[in-house]
Amino acid sequence: MSEMKEMILDVAERMLTDHVSKEVVDIVEQGDWDKNTWSLFQENGMVAVAISEENGGAGGDLEDLLNLVRLTGKYAAPIPFAETTLANYMLETANLFTVEQIATYSLEEGLTVENNKVNGTLYNVPWARHANFLASFVQSNQGVHIALIDLSQATIEHSSNLASEPRDTVKLNNTEASLSNPLTDEQILHLKAIETAFKIAQMTGAIEKANALSIQYSKEREQFGRPIHRFQLVQQQIVQLSGETAIAVAAFNNVCAAILAEDYFQEIAYARIRFEDAVTTITTVAHQLHAAIGTTHEHALHQYTRRLWSWRDEGPNSDFWSESIAHYLLNNDTDLWAFITKTN
Amino acid sequence: MFQLPTVKFTEEQEAFRMEVRKFLQDHAAKGTFTPKCDSWLSGDDPSFSKIVGEQGWIGMTWPKKYGGQERSTIDRYILTEEYLAIGAPVAAHWFADRQTGPLLLRYGTEEQKEYFLPKIAKGECYFAIGLSEPNSGSDLASVKTRAEKVEGGWIVNGQKIWTSNAHVCHYAVTLVRTSPYDGQNKHAGLSQLIIDLHAEGVTIVPIKFLTGEHHFNEVFFDNVFVPDNMVVGEIGNGWAQGLAELAFERSGPERILSTFPLLDELIQELKQQGDKEGLKEATKLLSRLWGLRNLSIGVAQMLESGDGHEVAIPASLVKALGTKFEQSIPEIARLLVKAYPKLDAERKFDCFMAQSILHSPGFTIRGGTTEVLYGMVAKGVVAK
Repeated sequence: MSEMKEMILDVAERMLTDHVSKEVVDIVEQGDWDKNTWSLFQENGMVAVAISEENGGAGGDLEDLLNLVRLTGKYAAPIPFAETTLANYMLETANLFTVEQIATYSLEEGLTVENNKVNGTLYNVPWARHANFLASFVQSNQGVHIALIDLSQATIEHSSNLASEPRDTVKLNNTEASLSNPLTDEQILHLKAIETAFKIAQMTGAIEKANALSIQYSKEREQFGRPIHRFQLVQQQIVQLSGETAIAVAAFNNVCAAILAEDYFQEIAYARIRFEDAVTTITTVAHQLHAAIGTTHEHALHQYTRRLWSWRDEGPNSDFWSESIAHYLLNNDTDLWAFITKTN
Repeated sequence: MFQLPTVKFTEEQEAFRMEVRKFLQDHAAKGTFTPKCDSWLSGDDPSFSKIVGEQGWIGMTWPKKYGGQERSTIDRYILTEEYLAIGAPVAAHWFADRQTGPLLLRYGTEEQKEYFLPKIAKGECYFAIGLSEPNSGSDLASVKTRAEKVEGGWIVNGQKIWTSNAHVCHYAVTLVRTSPYDGQNKHAGLSQLIIDLHAEGVTIVPIKFLTGEHHFNEVFFDNVFVPDNMVVGEIGNGWAQGLAELAFERSGPERILSTFPLLDELIQELKQQGDKEGLKEATKLLSRLWGLRNLSIGVAQMLESGDGHEVAIPASLVKALGTKFEQSIPEIARLLVKAYPKLDAERKFDCFMAQSILHSPGFTIRGGTTEVLYGMVAKGVVAK
């Protein structure tokens, strides 16, 4: 990573440590969000990273953006950062204008379009109640397009995921939309891959924090006259946690490298499949290490474990990517080692 | 959490990978060797070692003046991956290439380097590693084999055990006690000696592996004379010298790929059967392999850039996690494709399955037990 990238990430991480306390994360559960940090992110150009300069972007590439998304995951920041930036990425991919206000996205089925009027219902749309715009897949008789929809025209019903993050129902009834040309199959798969990479980034951040909180707690908590990390059975848990964290972090970094090299389907698929075990182990072990205190609302651990339990079921999941790898293996006369080493 | 670099192989490195692969495939096709699982421990074939020595593929990272090629750690990593992916018999020269060479380059005398390294690189001189003793396994610093100073050298008495391939090796780098054991400083007073395994007083007794095969040995030393010029590094510094090479030993592809030939056969079988659900299940193994390979290559890259001291903990983690993965391949494969494991089976899947199952228990023991590694990793991450 370049020095400039590291500087952007340092600045972002400082903002998040300074402003996103445990109490600030909690406000999302009362239906509020962290407008203060959002303004800081906007003022400092974080929201425009990886948007091209002709669209008023701030420069930077997807690796920078994914690392910022990872940081918002690491601090459970209650801001629509991943949503707005992914929506804009979709709009750029489809040659539509990007937006400066809050946006959200959907790559699910549910909307149809005819004569530029969109109809249908989308479920579990992140942050819809706070967003001004929605970028979504819509189906026409020509194929799948991306539509940019002004959410003031929509009916929005509040709902939330396991972490109390807004996941709303969006109902559209003959709503006006800007529409892209029909997407190619490659574009559709590309967007699903990038959506998966965003989830991997968020989960990586939450994994890092759950790991750090747990190691810290094992040093502070004393029983039988010594810190619990001194017990061998606890050490075994610490290694499981550290191992899964190391694998997740390396997986994320390799996904970023693969995206920059424009050859990334295998990496994203493997990472997403691998995160199933990582999330199961990390959430289980982190809670076991924290014992009773970690099960309270007062302690911060649940802000990360609840997000991991939510995010793993959002977007294209491990089954989707297993299917895609299995399909490839079944339909190509490739040797496994050549496939893994990309030397077909 | 430690940060490991990502590695993008260069075009030259990819070309080298293809060169090695073609070479190995050609030799497998003409019957020079029969691919097998765990071939880096159980495939000792001196004639094959000479063939790869002629290619310049032993000691390939060493200086040219000692018979090396001055290639990178990443090139060696690629070579090792290709050996293991196909299951080539590289056990004879394995320890000399992986451990003895780097040890001598770092601590050996000019005379030792000039004498041993070119022979090792030609695939003609093999080294065993004399560490464990009957009462010193994980607690290695408690070794009792002792060397006493005499005129012109040392007299060694004692016993090593689990010495892989000592019966085909010419020498053993042997950890011995050169000062009495001090409970307060148990790592002091240890030294590394190169012992000629054909010297008078050396007796090698086979320990049959559970398959009946001969890989391990007991090595007895009865008043064996070792001349002064066969001391490696400094007397009393043996512990630190041995530790320095552990990252190479623990993080390599051989901690991930020992049962890869079985995974390859599993995918072939599932493809032939058109079993999409089975393939989907098998993608979990591929994703675990990928996740571990990222760590292992990251450590190799850090070793290449000279950050060896930074990687002791990640290297131990790679071994602890990678060997569990190697062990799990037969356990999962047999649930996806019907197997009848037999060492002499005609069907490759059954044969690799048998080799994998029977060799598996050793993976998490050799080169540092999982329990010892866990202890190191836990202390390392807590201390950070």
